[in-house]
Amino acid sequence: MKYNPVTKDIIDELREIVGVKNVITDREKLEAYSHDETPAEQYAHMPEVVVTPGSAEEISRIVKLANRELIPLTPRGAGSGLSGGAIPQYGGIVISVEKMNKVIEIDYDNMMMVLEPGIVTNSVNEMIKDKGLFFAGYPMSVETCYLGGNIAENAGGGKAVKYGVTGRYIMGLELVTPTGEIVELGGKRVKDVTGYDLKQLIIGSEGTLGIVTKAIIKLLPLPTDKVDLLVLFKDVRSAIAMVPKIMTGGRIIPTGIEFMDKLSVKTSCEYLNEHLPYQEAGAMLLIEVDGNRAEQVEADAETIGELCLENGAIEVYVADNYTTQERVWSVRRNIAEAFKVYSPHQSLEDIVVPIASIPDLIPELERISKKYEIQVPCYGHAGDGNLHATLVKNPQHTMEEWYEIEEKALREIYTVTKNLGGTISGEHGIGSKRKSFMELVADPVELELMRKIKKAFDPNNIMNPGKIFDFD
Amino acid sequence: MNIIIPIKQVPETSNVKMDEETGTMVRDGVESIVNPLDLYAIETGIQLKEEFGGKITVITMGPPSAEKALREAISMGCDDGILLSGREFAGSDTWATSYALSQVIREAGKFDLILAGERATDGDTGQVGPGIASFLGLPLATYTSKIVELTKDSITVERLIEEGYETLRLPLPALLTVVKEISYPRLPTLRGKQRAKKLKLKQWSSEDIEIDRANLGLKGSPTRVVKITRPKVTRNGEFIKVVDEESLETAVERLVKFLQEKEIV
Repeated sequence: MKYNPVTKDIIDELREIVGVKNVITDREKLEAYSHDETPAEQYAHMPEVVVTPGSAEEISRIVKLANRELIPLTPRGAGSGLSGGAIPQYGGIVISVEKMNKVIEIDYDNMMMVLEPGIVTNSVNEMIKDKGLFFAGYPMSVETCYLGGNIAENAGGGKAVKYGVTGRYIMGLELVTPTGEIVELGGKRVKDVTGYDLKQLIIGSEGTLGIVTKAIIKLLPLPTDKVDLLVLFKDVRSAIAMVPKIMTGGRIIPTGIEFMDKLSVKTSCEYLNEHLPYQEAGAMLLIEVDGNRAEQVEADAETIGELCLENGAIEVYVADNYTTQERVWSVRRNIAEAFKVYSPHQSLEDIVVPIASIPDLIPELERISKKYEIQVPCYGHAGDGNLHATLVKNPQHTMEEWYEIEEKALREIYTVTKNLGGTISGEHGIGSKRKSFMELVADPVELELMRKIKKAFDPNNIMNPGKIFDFD
Repeated sequence: MNIIIPIKQVPETSNVKMDEETGTMVRDGVESIVNPLDLYAIETGIQLKEEFGGKITVITMGPPSAEKALREAISMGCDDGILLSGREFAGSDTWATSYALSQVIREAGKFDLILAGERATDGDTGQVGPGIASFLGLPLATYTSKIVELTKDSITVERLIEEGYETLRLPLPALLTVVKEISYPRLPTLRGKQRAKKLKLKQWSSEDIEIDRANLGLKGSPTRVVKITRPKVTRNGEFIKVVDEESLETAVERLVKFLQEKEIV
């Protein structure tokens, strides 16, 4: 696909649409819009211009202009993504929704909110906390990510075992389509089978099928109590074998079940100067239960803890207040950061397999780690089968060696994952980072249908081109 | 070895909000936790018990809900808990608190060592530990960073002082206030939680101990909080901009001059 450059005339036209202040052309400022949380040296690409529109109408006019002039558009939220989704692969115009951050409506009777896409996910929860409500679309980046990006990636996180992923809480969307029409999909209706569910198609489409300009989100009653258990196991197998038993044997659906292998715990503890007795444990589970009655939550935690001890857990620690909960969760949260100290170059993955297949996956990761002489710590959302098997560059390797190893090791990990009934991304998305591996996991028929859908929405292929798959 | 650990329940202050008008903390919806610095005293006590045997009693003065703090300490490995509670104690300052707790300790029986946190994260005075030592006439080491040796009748400790460390030997019984350096607090275990839940705590009021009621609560407190003010942050920042090589030179000159004026270089 050959795109046209952004000329001075086009910049003038953009200024006319959104106002002079909302058009960024200064190189230093553009740089901030050239990358997300993927390694910049590998994936970053400069936009030609960034616009920060204030309404769906303005976005619609920009999209129509882009179609007329054949200029690529890249929608952007907070840039906290992990797949290159917000990176302008072909330059062109970045449409940042940062100024569209208003609360349009808080509808307590329907337990819903109508929001613009540039609002930070966590600030939604701050607003409704006092009313005893919360929004369960809750990725780990909740304090930075925008609602728009959260929807575009259909993000998941540490509470997905019980609450599921973001898509479950999106009731309706206003979308500017890739041809510039404004359409409302879904609404404040709990049930709706009127034709195809296009709203659900948009959720997780990584900005390739349009730009979300408004969202209706569903709220839940905010749990008042939670207890965390940090459970030590002698090895990975016994830790993972515990995961389904919690739900079948304990008859409890915890909020989250996080897994950390020994290497992850050790590295994070050393980084934090935290003295958990990790030397004895081959793996740990961090299990959270929540609810609205303290006695019930406590009893659930006790049931799960007893079950773990019956199934060979070395020790069960209980964190039921802020001090201890913060201690155990910060070990989990700081794993990625801790490995950056060891080696700043990493490939953060989020492969997903059926939960019963995790024990078969772990030895394969160990094999790949040995074969390529790199560390492959494994941690993540065990309760969802979604693991952050991360490739960490060996400091002894040169960058050229690392890029070669990364490509080969990823291909092997993805192949193993696929053979176990899994796939290459559970929550981060494909974007540009994993695009070349799509053929490995997606059925050719499925891929062809996706391409046809994309064509139907975006005949000129101007909306976030170069993401998920290519048109050859 | 019988150890007594006085602890305090404090508001969890990392997300605290201040009332702009009154200058006081908004306590609504704020969780109560064991004073984080007391956890180091608890851990130190448990380690001593593990090595030398004995029994640890945690004590606290506060509303009935402070029982939760005692149970948290017990779930970590302490053996027993005493809660001193009653309206008559409300408004106690550090002097009245030290007095009341020292009377609880007299009543609690024979002990060899009292371990306390360096200070509480809410009041921030660090006076109650030394206050108890004073009322009980005990030798005291504050800012204890290491226990070097424990014998039948003495304890040798290192304490943190401005210039470094000081080694002290104290006859037992004694009181130590400890700093973070001394240990890493363990997490409570499930078994510990279960034990703590079942355990019957001693709930004492001023009726249960020998105490001079004139020394209790607000009326027994010689100090008063007269006014609370928030310090004004007055930073006079100056931006020195660099746009090209020429301005870089003048910027460096100005920065050096600034640092010299402030006698930093």
